[in-house]
Amino acid sequence: MNRRSFVKKVLNGSIAGSLYLVWPMGSGSLEILEQIPEQIPGIRDKEYDILNQEFAFIVDITRCIGCGSCCVADKREYNVPDGNFRTWVERYVKGFSDKIYVDSPNGGLQGYQHPRTDIEEKIRDTFFVPKLCNMCKEAPCVQVCPVGATFTSPDGFVLVDEKRCVGCAYCIQACPYSVRFIHPDKKTVEKCTWCYQRVRKGLLPACVEVCPTGARKFGSMKDETSEVYKILKGPGVLTVLKKEMGTFPALYYKGARREVI
Amino acid sequence: MGLSYRLRLLIVLLSIVVLAGGALLFKNILIPDSFGIYGYYRADAISEAALVPIRHWTNISCFKCHPYEAKIHKNGHHQTISCEFCHGTYADHVENEKKIGTLPVKKEKEITTLCLKCHNTEIKARKEEVIKTIAMPNHLKDQNVKLTHNCNQCHHVHAPLKYIIRAKQITRMMEAGS
Repeated sequence: MNRRSFVKKVLNGSIAGSLYLVWPMGSGSLEILEQIPEQIPGIRDKEYDILNQEFAFIVDITRCIGCGSCCVADKREYNVPDGNFRTWVERYVKGFSDKIYVDSPNGGLQGYQHPRTDIEEKIRDTFFVPKLCNMCKEAPCVQVCPVGATFTSPDGFVLVDEKRCVGCAYCIQACPYSVRFIHPDKKTVEKCTWCYQRVRKGLLPACVEVCPTGARKFGSMKDETSEVYKILKGPGVLTVLKKEMGTFPALYYKGARREVI
Repeated sequence: MGLSYRLRLLIVLLSIVVLAGGALLFKNILIPDSFGIYGYYRADAISEAALVPIRHWTNISCFKCHPYEAKIHKNGHHQTISCEFCHGTYADHVENEKKIGTLPVKKEKEITTLCLKCHNTEIKARKEEVIKTIAMPNHLKDQNVKLTHNCNQCHHVHAPLKYIIRAKQITRMMEAGS
């Protein structure tokens, strides 16, 4: 090798090397991200301050039409195995005798296409109740985990560390809202995460994104212009599920009848 | 036993050092690095949870390559419906800005089934201010069309009133009371 070719090769190598470092490798998703305006303002433009975040989820029962979009989106987003649900929609039928009939065929994945025919009495009211993780501030599932696999992150999300979970299912028993299940292949616990990875990128959770009527609302409580902040600040009645359990959920229901549990 | 006092002391001290050192080493091996930064869990699990790949994007991502559908969809009554609900996820269609698969398009009876997921009056929980509902087959009878008609023979799936408004403009037909 003479000096000329040596210098050529070194130059080529260094140019290629620096390009390799600069080129966005496998960041196709990052580029898509830049095209989408931020859905949760104040996340992308600065470094994520995990200790100074608060999020809230509001389900407006008066707007839910039971189409099942959220369930379909959730199943596709996480490839949830059949028969397990991270989120689902329940149908409550209330008769004039104050009796409550609840059903949720296949978790509402196919939507609700037929009325219930097995109710003999006159029906007073029908409504849909979407269910998902309540993100409790005092989460029973976190308290019982023997290996520290389930935890409440400083920004208020109850998450599962797949690498530490031993699949003892203690948390499944502890959860008052039944949002947890054992993944049949991984044998670890899975649950709704309010799409943590999407929130961290400034996107709405998948179920909120696809909801056609705006029955599911999500936003930051640190942002005083967000819809959830305004609703929570306003005079409207919001309830949480199983308040008497003392779990202090960050998931609120608007327009939930007292029968909803 | 002929061991001197000093030797016994040394043995005791040595065993304490070995046991404590071993325990510390064991603890270090067994406890993950980031354990305990925020609490009784592995703090790295938070950043791992933030890296889970995203499969649903938004309608804006779809509209970029489908301007024709975008124009109709954005101006119709179905503008709040996610493309991915009917067609499937973005991740199944595009990867690294390249098309990797074809998403299904609903056809014929599938469309009617899909429409009735939301627009069926029989499910009494749907309020008028939220969604327009119809009863089948009464709606077909009222509109004087064949009972075998699918919804998309009158309604554009992306903008349900597109053809209907246009037809009314052409024929100058006005609905009673309007």
